[in-house]
Amino acid sequence: MGKLDDTLARVRPVWRARPVLPVLGYAAIWVFLVLFLVYPLLRIFYDAFTDEVGRFTVANFVEFAGDAYYVRSLGNSILLGLGTVAATSLIGFAVALLLVRLDFPGRDLFGYLTLIPIISPPLVGVLGVTFIMGRAGTVNVLLEDWFGLTRPINFVYGVHGVLLVETLHLFPMITLNVLDALAKIDPALEEAAESVGARGWRKLRTITLPLTTPGYVAGALLVFIWTFSDFATPLVLGVHDLLAAQAYLNIVQFVDRRLFRMGIVISALMVVLAVVFLVAARRYVAIKDYSSLAYSRVARRRPGPLGQAGAVGFLSLLMLVSFVPYLGVGLASIGKGWSLTPFPLQYTWQYYERVIVETPKYIINSFLCSALAVAGCILVGVPIAWVLARTRAPGRDVLDGLNTLILALPGTAIGIAYIRAFHFPLPGLDLKLTSLWIVLPLVLCIRRLPYTVRGAYASLLLVHPSMEEAAASVGARGARSFRDVTLPLIWRGVLVGSLFSFVTALQEASAVLFLALGGWETIPVGIFAFYIAGSANEAAALGVILILVAAATTLAINRLAGTRMGGMFG
Amino acid sequence: MRIALRGVVKRFGAVTAVDGATLDITDGELFTLLGPSGCGKTTLLRLVAGFYRPPDAGEIRFGERRVDALPPYERNIGMVFQNYALWPHMTVRANIAYGLRLRKLGAAEIAERVERGLRQVNLRGLEDRYPGQLSGGQQQRVALARALVLNPDILLLDEPLSNLDAKIREQVREEIRLLQQALRITTIYVTHDQEEALSLSDRVAVMRDGRIQQVAAPKALYERPANRFVAEFVGTNNFLPGVCRERDEHGAVVETALGLVRGRPGDGVVVGERCLVAVRPENVTLGAPADNLFDGRVAFVSYLGNALRYEVEMSTGVVLKVDVGDAWHHETLAIGRAVRVGFAATVALTLRDE
Repeated sequence: MGKLDDTLARVRPVWRARPVLPVLGYAAIWVFLVLFLVYPLLRIFYDAFTDEVGRFTVANFVEFAGDAYYVRSLGNSILLGLGTVAATSLIGFAVALLLVRLDFPGRDLFGYLTLIPIISPPLVGVLGVTFIMGRAGTVNVLLEDWFGLTRPINFVYGVHGVLLVETLHLFPMITLNVLDALAKIDPALEEAAESVGARGWRKLRTITLPLTTPGYVAGALLVFIWTFSDFATPLVLGVHDLLAAQAYLNIVQFVDRRLFRMGIVISALMVVLAVVFLVAARRYVAIKDYSSLAYSRVARRRPGPLGQAGAVGFLSLLMLVSFVPYLGVGLASIGKGWSLTPFPLQYTWQYYERVIVETPKYIINSFLCSALAVAGCILVGVPIAWVLARTRAPGRDVLDGLNTLILALPGTAIGIAYIRAFHFPLPGLDLKLTSLWIVLPLVLCIRRLPYTVRGAYASLLLVHPSMEEAAASVGARGARSFRDVTLPLIWRGVLVGSLFSFVTALQEASAVLFLALGGWETIPVGIFAFYIAGSANEAAALGVILILVAAATTLAINRLAGTRMGGMFG
Repeated sequence: MRIALRGVVKRFGAVTAVDGATLDITDGELFTLLGPSGCGKTTLLRLVAGFYRPPDAGEIRFGERRVDALPPYERNIGMVFQNYALWPHMTVRANIAYGLRLRKLGAAEIAERVERGLRQVNLRGLEDRYPGQLSGGQQQRVALARALVLNPDILLLDEPLSNLDAKIREQVREEIRLLQQALRITTIYVTHDQEEALSLSDRVAVMRDGRIQQVAAPKALYERPANRFVAEFVGTNNFLPGVCRERDEHGAVVETALGLVRGRPGDGVVVGERCLVAVRPENVTLGAPADNLFDGRVAFVSYLGNALRYEVEMSTGVVLKVDVGDAWHHETLAIGRAVRVGFAATVALTLRDE
């Protein structure tokens, strides 16, 4: 933000006029955030640092550190996170460079396809991988048939499988951020490098790539935290010695108080790590803010036929591998009695019938909760964006920090925090918030708030305050100038942000798995429940529905915003 | 290093950005490309730099070497970009040293040359800052130093002062000129600012719509513009259209709306055909005897600080701009006041009407 902030600081009106209504609205935003974000997080720290009777203690952490299994899990989680960052970086950078710098047939299509994995629910991805690459999956069956393989190859069960699934799911996070950064590089910077003798690989390594670091670091951070806090993927692949998986298993057993407390300690630890990484990344990015607000006109090079074929070949192969999970889920959702054959022998719609007609609750709940959550995101998020972009209201920086913190917070930790924070009878109601369905939209709203805020903030920045001032100068008062000038200029950004909030809310698994109530299960909860219960086909059918919704939403976002969605994740 | 351009053409789609540019720039000269935006001056500079290569037609030579097809890094040029294009992720030192490191020079030599480069542009003590922490003028100097440490044969400057405040601009302009003269480096300077072009160039080429209109030293350009466009773009002129009545090598007489005007004979001005008389406001006098005298009334006055400009309306409706250079000792005339304006035949240039 740096340079722009300076400019804005000059034009931004001081928080001078104090009409009652805006102040009340601003206060309401704070109450909301404190109640549903700050308090739950503080609560897990309180729990982590107290014993059964509420006395301060660090015994919980001592116990954690003394337990070899937990320590190993922590190490595994960090290694897995770093490994995923390395793998996604390699692929993500390659794809971004191809898409930005070269022109080849199908470039736009690939641009769209690379977005799909990120927007697809990870839970669905891991299911699909097991169908195709599992012990009795298509690949192993084919190998047995063709090459007489006697023992199936273990492609996926284990940490390497988690790494594979997370990489295929998350590489677009890097691609998007790098794409965004590349598009903003002033071409003169590279020409200057050429004029002093840097060319080809050298120019790429010393000038181009370093200029993308701020965007890249933001993407890498999210990849790390995502992998670090994902427990569903490892559990499906039979990996238990990871921190997030331990947190989940410890919390959901609800029997052993000691294990339960360790679950809380782990989630506190995850929050701390997330914050540490976030602050480190922010520090790093803050001193290296090169972004110009404008996107430069990019001169794409059309390589020779061989180069074009290479680019198309690489992307096609990548897409093929990335879409293996979706192929698997698709087949499983309509395949009957699929075992020990490469592909299903019989096809049926019965699983769709079951999840759509017989038990439509998953779909209804998902849409209802996500829609309510997004309504909340808009209600709270757009004003927050306005405060961030246009005012110097007290607490503005904290607001900015909180908004970014949410992006980095593991869903697991939020879910556990809500369980701890709202597990008491509400005054006058004699009901616990955790046993009311409204807790789901609430947690989804908080979790997905940053996307709406970012979408609105980014477009507000593009509306120069002088445009609003000009409206004021010809007689449009506050709300009026907002409606007639600002809103028509920012609705697109708000819509893109909200769609993003919506589609990610639909897919939210980690936080929701802790909070889902009987009768109020969402699609991801249904997928998890069906799969654990052995009904993989129903899980797959729900997964396909989720993917279709995600693909349609992505298409809409892409239409609205082009490929410039990098800002969403940074 | 001499630079020779022969019939250089560059097209972008249907637009011809540079249309048959032919130039000879001598060794150690500061040569300016001047023109309004979109005239092709930056395109021509980038053709010389090698960012567009090869040109669609024509050839470019540095000395005897033909360079049209060579990439920038094989031309031994130093370039300063309009927005400086300093790499934001590198310190001042790293920016300047980058090209030297690419040439695999020893650490000691790099340090020595960076030091010298910074001294040349009067910028010391900021070596470890990042570009974002520098003022516009400081960034400009870093960009200059970065171009110069490679000892280029040719220095290319693309509107280097356009992002600076007026005061700093004048100062840096002078520094660039002094440095260029000290180094005797052949320099091409692109600008749309005619004052800048006149004040620092050895020679100026005025461009319009991709074509070179005139190549001349600043004084010749100002006093003997080749056509109306140049006369209009460089400085201010009064134009009086008319028909040429007499012409020999000493003078010309043109019949205008004001009556007969005596002036210098211009190229291509033919007796009996339409032509223009161009007179600069500072060459028009009030109430003094002159070759050409006309009566009018003061219609508008503006104070320019170093001059006072009258617009005097003649009885025929023609308006002449008249500058009084010594406004300090001049009593401002009221609007509507009758005045007699005049100018010498030697300052009235006749131009072919296009």
